Amino acid sequence: MSKENKKYWKSIDEYNKKELPVSKSDEFMEGTTDEFDPSKLDGLSRRKFLALLSASTAFAVTACSDYHDQKELAPYIKRPDGLLPGKPNYYASTCSGCSQACGILIKTREGRPIKVDGNDLHPINKGKICATGQASVYNLYDPSRLQFPTKGKNKVDWASADSDIINKLDKIVKSGKKIAVITHPINSPTEKKLLDEFKQRYSTAEVYSYELFNNCNKKFAWFKSYGSPEIPSIKWDEADIILSLESDFLAKEANHVEATRLFSSRRDIMKSDHFNRLYVAEAGMSLTNTNSDYRIQVRPDAQYDFVLSLMSEVVKRGASVINVDSSVKKKLSNYSLDSFVTKWNLDAIKVNYLIDDLVNNKGKAIVYAGDVLPADVHIAVNLLNEILGNTKLYDYDKAYVNTGRQAHLDDFKVLINSFNKSEFGAVIHYDVNPAFHIPSSMNYADALKNVGLVVSLVESENESTVSDTYTLPINHAFESWGDAQARKNVYSLRQPVIAPLYNSRQREAILLTWITSSSEAYNDDMYHQYLMESCRENIYNKMKLAVDFKSFWFAALHDGYVELNKQSTKKHVFDLTAFDLRKHSSASTDFGLLLSRSYFIGDGRFANNGWLQEIPHPISKAAWDNYAAIAPSTAKKMDLEIGDVIKVSVGDNSVNLPVMIQPGVLQDMITVELGYGRTVIGDAGKDAGINANDLLNQQSGSSPWITSGVSIEKTGEEYELVSTQEHHPLDEDFVKDFHLKRGIIREATLTEYKKNPEFAREHDEELVSITSEHKFTETKWGMAIDMNKCVSCATCVASCDVENNVPVVGKDQVANGREMHWIRIDRYYSGTPEDPIVSNQPMLCQHCDNAPCENVCPVNATNHSPDGLNQMVYNRCVGTRYCANNCPYKVRRFNFFNFLDHFADSYYENEVTPLVYNPEVTIRSRGVMEKCSFCVQKISEEREDAIREGREIKGENVVTACQQACPADAIVFGDVNDPNSRVSQYKKHNLGYLVLQNLNVRPNVTYVAKLRNTHSEDT
Amino acid sequence: MSSSVPDYSKNVSVIEGKPSLRSIDDLISKPLDTKPDKKYYIALAVTTTMLMIGAIALLASFYYGTGLWGNNNPVGWGFPIVNFVFWVGIGHAGTLISAILFLLRQKWRNGIARFAEGMTIFAVMTAGIFPAIHVGRPWLDGYLFPYPNQHSLWVNFNSPLLWDVFAVSTYFTVSFIFWYVGLIPDFAILRDRTKSKIKKTIYSITSLGWRGSNRHWQHYEMVYLVLAGFATPLVLSVHTIVSFDFAVAILPGWHSTIFPPYFVAGAVFSGFAMVQNVLIFIRKIFNYEHIITIDTLEKMNKVILLTGSLVGYAYAMEFFIAWYSGVQIEQFTFVNRAFGPYAWAYWIMVSCNVLFPQLFWIKKIRRTIPLMFIIAVLVNVGMWFERYVITVSSLARDYLPSSWAYFTPTLTDLSILLGSFGFFFTFLLLFTKTLPVVSIVEVKAVVEGSQPSHKDH
Repeated sequence: MSKENKKYWKSIDEYNKKELPVSKSDEFMEGTTDEFDPSKLDGLSRRKFLALLSASTAFAVTACSDYHDQKELAPYIKRPDGLLPGKPNYYASTCSGCSQACGILIKTREGRPIKVDGNDLHPINKGKICATGQASVYNLYDPSRLQFPTKGKNKVDWASADSDIINKLDKIVKSGKKIAVITHPINSPTEKKLLDEFKQRYSTAEVYSYELFNNCNKKFAWFKSYGSPEIPSIKWDEADIILSLESDFLAKEANHVEATRLFSSRRDIMKSDHFNRLYVAEAGMSLTNTNSDYRIQVRPDAQYDFVLSLMSEVVKRGASVINVDSSVKKKLSNYSLDSFVTKWNLDAIKVNYLIDDLVNNKGKAIVYAGDVLPADVHIAVNLLNEILGNTKLYDYDKAYVNTGRQAHLDDFKVLINSFNKSEFGAVIHYDVNPAFHIPSSMNYADALKNVGLVVSLVESENESTVSDTYTLPINHAFESWGDAQARKNVYSLRQPVIAPLYNSRQREAILLTWITSSSEAYNDDMYHQYLMESCRENIYNKMKLAVDFKSFWFAALHDGYVELNKQSTKKHVFDLTAFDLRKHSSASTDFGLLLSRSYFIGDGRFANNGWLQEIPHPISKAAWDNYAAIAPSTAKKMDLEIGDVIKVSVGDNSVNLPVMIQPGVLQDMITVELGYGRTVIGDAGKDAGINANDLLNQQSGSSPWITSGVSIEKTGEEYELVSTQEHHPLDEDFVKDFHLKRGIIREATLTEYKKNPEFAREHDEELVSITSEHKFTETKWGMAIDMNKCVSCATCVASCDVENNVPVVGKDQVANGREMHWIRIDRYYSGTPEDPIVSNQPMLCQHCDNAPCENVCPVNATNHSPDGLNQMVYNRCVGTRYCANNCPYKVRRFNFFNFLDHFADSYYENEVTPLVYNPEVTIRSRGVMEKCSFCVQKISEEREDAIREGREIKGENVVTACQQACPADAIVFGDVNDPNSRVSQYKKHNLGYLVLQNLNVRPNVTYVAKLRNTHSEDT
Repeated sequence: MSSSVPDYSKNVSVIEGKPSLRSIDDLISKPLDTKPDKKYYIALAVTTTMLMIGAIALLASFYYGTGLWGNNNPVGWGFPIVNFVFWVGIGHAGTLISAILFLLRQKWRNGIARFAEGMTIFAVMTAGIFPAIHVGRPWLDGYLFPYPNQHSLWVNFNSPLLWDVFAVSTYFTVSFIFWYVGLIPDFAILRDRTKSKIKKTIYSITSLGWRGSNRHWQHYEMVYLVLAGFATPLVLSVHTIVSFDFAVAILPGWHSTIFPPYFVAGAVFSGFAMVQNVLIFIRKIFNYEHIITIDTLEKMNKVILLTGSLVGYAYAMEFFIAWYSGVQIEQFTFVNRAFGPYAWAYWIMVSCNVLFPQLFWIKKIRRTIPLMFIIAVLVNVGMWFERYVITVSSLARDYLPSSWAYFTPTLTDLSILLGSFGFFFTFLLLFTKTLPVVSIVEVKAVVEGSQPSHKDH
């Protein structure tokens, strides 16, 4: 059989078929390959293809070794319970930044805390905390934290340190010498009990609690007036008229977060146009002052006369609601408001408005004296409130719990003396820094050398730990158990949210170990057990609940607090004998000095927190420094300019301070903020400001923060003060009132508004476009900022910093205007330098529909999303900075350096600190432009949730970081295409305006014009 | 015909004396034939030192970031953009002289065209550095080019910065080709003259086989004319587009419709001043006084006077429009320029650009070399400050007073500026020793008696 004839078949069918398909019979028939001509194919030979493949692989491999930092990623081998990678966990706890014990919610991602916000459920702070609290998460990862116990410079282990200390303490007690335990006021009932036990165990121990800025004067006055040291909280929201005397109650005193919320709730145009009216009488320029409707300049040492003059006038008008004793009348007869006004050259019209308002709003007004004022002013104010019937606004149910007696400078004088006489065998610094806080002229640090044993229980080294004995690292609050009770009605719990990062122990457990006399007694759960026991005894048992303790405990931990049963309060009756006339003569006219706490770094405790150091001062906009604020007229008189160094002398003590010319400060007054100038501190707080604690008034019996008869002297030196806004003299016609002329700030008085409700928009221009506008048909994001409610506390700035990984740039970069804040508070002055009107405005990316930044970017790195966001694509950004130039709001921020490693020689580039970053937000490299994203990560989260739950996106579900933090609830975010959303209500409101509306960039942030509640029509 | 009417048909001689064609060859190629002297090396040492300082500053900027410069938050553009616009402006005179004046049959241009063109090339090269380095991440400059990629990323054609990329690169390419085409006959002359084998090889390649035949000349003239036609609109478009970088923005002080003509006039102004500055040295050092005559320099000074007045008019018009528009922000920007924190820069600009060039109305000054040199230097200073005032003072005080800030340059900024001059002059020095700085054939063409003429015969 020839090859051609041979037929192959695979099936019967195939065999039966006569003709087989050609393709099957002859698979390689002629012509099949005719079309196939290798030369006609792509010119790529196999060899070339392989060569290219290997070359491109090689290139790809090299390209992958890019310039970005490479870090290792480790997956969970076993997923911990309750933890879903990528989803945050929230834990309720209690803030330890100050003694107010606000309820907080700590957000953790994969086990690490990354954000702190207020606990929504908490009855006092209701979901809000201050800027310091917001940024306090940095302190957990502070590179300066101590990692192990030391003795002198040597590393020791806990067991030997404990047994050595217990031994020594026992010997000291035996020898009859005393032990001093120095603490901050203890607001924890359990810790208080613990200290009592410690005192029992070591019988010669004495506890000294102190606070550099305290309310002891107020407390003392309250005790004298009402026989109780429990100060009631104020129902700010029920006050129609507020007279604040040298008090920064919106930013520094008592629970200012609560005060801000209540105060601003009375300036909500959506609810009512019946605003409260704020009078401020003070010498400086506080944040509260910038929010006032009327400001009266009164020296702190003249406040006493002022209050008595007001009282005298009220009594004279027969407006008193209580029977005023004739003795009181007699005492008041020497005071008259008219002569006070003449003496201090005050604006009689303003003072008249004030007295009329106080008299006409009896029972609905409050006179509030600041913590710095001496006790006799507080007593007088208490009486004035009694006379006006304002005691209805006292809330005794939420009264501040008395934390016990505090040590004053006088007590420290005695203590230091005893140190020097070697009466003390040991000093235990219980999380305090007295060597910094006590004026250096009192030589606390030197006196410590005469004490045998100094043990410091601290998170990081400070001025008080330098002595040659034990420095024991303690846990950060986020690593600790604890409880607190700052207010009568609330008991709060603190729980650890992360295991201790270092070989540290929580401070209470250390004391507990010493109490048990054996270093082996320590275990990690020790204080937890102690706390539960104490809580069962003191709280649970008293509440007489139906649930068992375990359920109670877990429920309390979950909520973070327990609301306590109302206690019947006894009637508070003013004791008229408390009111007596001041013996020494009143106000002087020489230079006066007023000291106050810094806005963000507290008394120095937060000085190593770069985020807080970099938030500009709410009024002067200076960062990284404190200064002596003086009036423009004083500056003119003494020929001083901003940055000139003056020598401020109080008695024998003097401090050299740079000058800040602050409009609104009273002539011949100097105001200085303390907390700066720490020397033994991490790199962030080093060289930040000047320690002016030496200026504290050491005269016994007087308020330490107020001094008269201060002398100042020009030194001729200069100091660089940096600020985020230029300082223009207010009377420079060239640039005067630009914020009003350009329609950036639009404000009026309430009366004007009622007459002309459209005032905010009457100068808006009708804008026409020759092209058709893009329509946003679905969700479109927008924001509204209510300038009536905003008090410019900058909490939004802190919250944004933490949420969006905003880098700290340092003083040198702020000097060059390179701060990276995505949201800033702009401050504008109008009026005269002596009596300025301050207008504040939070400014952030406006997410314009016609964004001018977008069309100039050559690479499309900034563009618009379908839901109205102006987006930044960091990977695509080349860094031409054209977008920033073309942004009329100048809210874009450029990474001039790699700010992560640029700040303080890579201080924050260590193993631990980067753990603070929010993993949902990209860390920006150098050369990249950035700006507010409207918290796009939160929008994405909502979108994911909506998709998963099969529903529409809801605008209200997205809460931006600034909105979440705003204690005044002045920021509203949501869907502007939803006509019922709060943000569109604001947009529609006739007070809602757009900044630079006439540019036709169509911003998406609506500002609600500020209304000032003054009598006359002019602001 | 009355003899009082001047005879416009008469050929005005642009070359003094009657140099022989051979002597022109010798003279122009002399710098190429002789070894450089000490002075040349000193000059080169100075310029390369400047260049190195700039290079070091630039490397430091690459390593640490743009933060080494004075730029800050409102002032996003500082020295690099000022330098860019300045150098692009310098690069305007060359093509204007060689192309536009060629089309306008201005024979006096023949002596200076080559040199001016060379300067154009080097100035545009210098300018081209700045857009590339001023960005935050210069290693990603490639993103500015529209190349197809798997990410489907495309550039934004709405952005003037992108137009810049095309405008400047097109201008450079066309200028370079134009310059090279003009060099071909000269290369051939050099090829034929040289005794060195290496030079001969090089010139043989670069002269592209030029034999000077009639055919060659015909093609050459046509190509040159076409290229001149090409280059002419580019002269106007480059700086127009550079001005769009500013004019398209919404910033008061930038957003202005007068910018394109104003920038072009300014560019020609500064370009001529720079050419005049350098030519004064060249004609002296190389004994070209009879080729680049005082008449030629005077004509250049007239152009400087004209463009300077145009620039002055633009300054005045900006103020007028700001006032006439009634826009408060616009008005403030200009008042602020003249009387605000940048007043010093503004008045340097006005005096150098508007006041001093007016001295050229006086013929004596137009023809006195030291005086014209000083005025031209001042013009260059003034034009640099013009860009500084426009860029920096507008940014420093814009819409929201809260973000105003003052710009202070750093040492790095100044070093890079110095380096740009080093770069430019180093190339210029190398040019004078490697290529004929005056076009041999074009000069020959305007020597008296070189052209067939019906007169005097």
